[in-house]
Amino acid sequence: MSAAALLAATGPLDPAARSFLSPTGVEIVFLLVGIAVLGSAVVAVTTKQLVHAALWLVAALGGLAVEFLLLTAEFVAWVQVLIYLGSVVVLVLFGLMLTKAPIGRSPDADSKNRWVALVVALASAGTLVTLVVDAFRTSWIDLGAGGGSAAVTGASLFRTWVLPFEALSVLLLAALVGAIVLSRGAGRRVPAPRSGRIRAGRPVGSNGTVAQRAAAAPPAEAPETAPAEES
Amino acid sequence: MSFPGAGLAKGLAVTLRTMTRKTVTAQYPDAQPSLPPRSRGVIALLEENCTVCMLCARECPDWCIYIDSHKETLPAADPNARARTRNVLDRFAIDFSLCMYCGICIEVCPFDALFWSPEFEYAETDILELTHERDRLREWMWTVPVPPALDPAAEEPKEIASARKAADKLAAAAAAALEQGGDAQ
Amino acid sequence: MNLFDTVLRCVATLVVFLTLPLVIGQTEHKVMAHMQGRLGPMYAGGFHGWAQLIADGVKFAQKEDIVPAGADRRIFQLAPAVSLLPYLFVLLAIPVGPDGFVGQAIDAGLFFVLAVMGVGVIGKLMAGWASANKFSLLGGLRTAAQLMSYELPMVLAAASVAMAAGTLSLPGIVDAWQWYWIPWQIIGAFVFFTAGLAELQRPPFDMPVADSEIIFGAYTEYTGLRFALFLLSEYVGILVVSALTAVLFLGGWHGPLPDQLGWLWTLLKTFALAFVVIWLRVTYPRLREDQLMRFAWTVLIPLALVQLALTGIIKVAIS
Repeated sequence: MSAAALLAATGPLDPAARSFLSPTGVEIVFLLVGIAVLGSAVVAVTTKQLVHAALWLVAALGGLAVEFLLLTAEFVAWVQVLIYLGSVVVLVLFGLMLTKAPIGRSPDADSKNRWVALVVALASAGTLVTLVVDAFRTSWIDLGAGGGSAAVTGASLFRTWVLPFEALSVLLLAALVGAIVLSRGAGRRVPAPRSGRIRAGRPVGSNGTVAQRAAAAPPAEAPETAPAEES
Repeated sequence: MSFPGAGLAKGLAVTLRTMTRKTVTAQYPDAQPSLPPRSRGVIALLEENCTVCMLCARECPDWCIYIDSHKETLPAADPNARARTRNVLDRFAIDFSLCMYCGICIEVCPFDALFWSPEFEYAETDILELTHERDRLREWMWTVPVPPALDPAAEEPKEIASARKAADKLAAAAAAALEQGGDAQ
Repeated sequence: MNLFDTVLRCVATLVVFLTLPLVIGQTEHKVMAHMQGRLGPMYAGGFHGWAQLIADGVKFAQKEDIVPAGADRRIFQLAPAVSLLPYLFVLLAIPVGPDGFVGQAIDAGLFFVLAVMGVGVIGKLMAGWASANKFSLLGGLRTAAQLMSYELPMVLAAASVAMAAGTLSLPGIVDAWQWYWIPWQIIGAFVFFTAGLAELQRPPFDMPVADSEIIFGAYTEYTGLRFALFLLSEYVGILVVSALTAVLFLGGWHGPLPDQLGWLWTLLKTFALAFVVIWLRVTYPRLREDQLMRFAWTVLIPLALVQLALTGIIKVAIS
């Protein structure tokens, strides 16, 4: 969602003398939600409890969706909820539960890189804020209803900004391929799991010679000798 | 050759067909169950038949039958005869918290004093109250069903056979007497 | 839209939210019983046990509210609300009849509905993690894995309808609906409904709560009113998925009767689908976890992609 598209959709800039001292209700709500988002984001980073951090992230991302709504960017808000709340955070929680996420404080929750991370965060925040402030200065954008509807967003995305969009999708594809390559490991073949037969057990009633022979055989041969049965 | 998913469709058809059929649920407290004639509900006592022989109490595998009695001397019917003694039942109780409904007591009773009754609604809130005394056991006698009729080609029961034999003998004797009397006249 | 109108719509949605799931629950009691040759509840309320769920609710409300000692208290207590409330918002957006017979018409309604339904799962994850119970954690994990797998075919199938209608608004989709959409979108309907079932964790996709394997999954430690809220969320979920399938694929209020009775058609289609949900539950056994994953990735997603391609081709051919 770009500012230019928003401007194109919502009408001309009106740098007329609007007072910042008499805010409307929407502006007050926007500010309060913004404070809440900031607060939950800070807690998400600083809390020592891993799952709490993920849940505070839920609050922050949900608050962000509300901010989008207040800016009439309806479609972006729902995409935010669908992708970030519905999928990304669920994935994060899934990962946390699969690994070690004790109830209570995690002693190793702190990273040694925290100061570096803080510097990077401050730098990127500074860059973004400077950019936005410099781009808009005191211009006033009237947000008409429907300015962020799916039709408008789609039109600007696939007409004006189609090249960055495609570049981004290629980037995501590259990330996907990279993730698959990493998860497959370097040249190590994992034997397919055999289902429907007892592993390495000796047949009931035999005197164990079968099991001994199986144990004596080199383990690298095991997946080949055993018929790889799917399903 | 069946199309894929035929088994799934068959399963759906089975449940749907069952839904349209009559249910098999028995609405028990509202509708009494129809029990088979030999249901082992409770053990009833016909105390008139009991001679306090104690066989049932002794054969009971878990000793749940309690019997108390005393001896009573009957005056001799005949001045020359000895006075007879007879057992009088004072207490006959079955502890149904111990009873395992094996029916051995009923099998061993030589005088047909114990019977199976299909009555089953005698639950109590206290385990001690499951020991039922003779009056309650006697009450259950009224619920004992009539014994099932014999098979058409079955052997005659022994008591009936002996009774008929005696009756036949009597009749024969009477007939013989009648004949003799007729001759005398 | 004035204030009174807004309040009226919200109250109506709330009433639907609180009553229709109970109707579905009672239907499940009775239908399941009769499909198994039983009678089901017969006493509560007098006539064929119609008040059974009310009695259940009273029972749940009387129970002690227990939080396990090792649990994460606040998250444990918050989880049922997080699981239940999204469905309330979804109900607000589902159109029932023509001409604004909807809680709140939303421009990107389809997206809204799918997005908010996904949020409810976070509640189940919270419950699974915060219970301090292995089985709950397993249930939470299974929930997350299942959601990740089935969200994709569901969104793809919904996207196919949106493409066909040329709009993301739910009333708009129903307005654009024609009878020939049924054969056209039949694959999408199957994928959407199946994925919806999986997202609700209804049998045969109920591994996250598989009571014979992991007690009751994420709800193992719950009791009383909080457990009742989880149950309610399951039944509201049935309502929402059935209503969405009816609206997206079966034409919502379109039917032989005049438009004034359109809402009747929507309700009828919704309840017919809810019956199918119950029917499937009674008929099929639970899938294994790996079968579930394989079904999602090797059957549903290819099918959804085929439907998407089909929709695109026919759409281009028509226009």
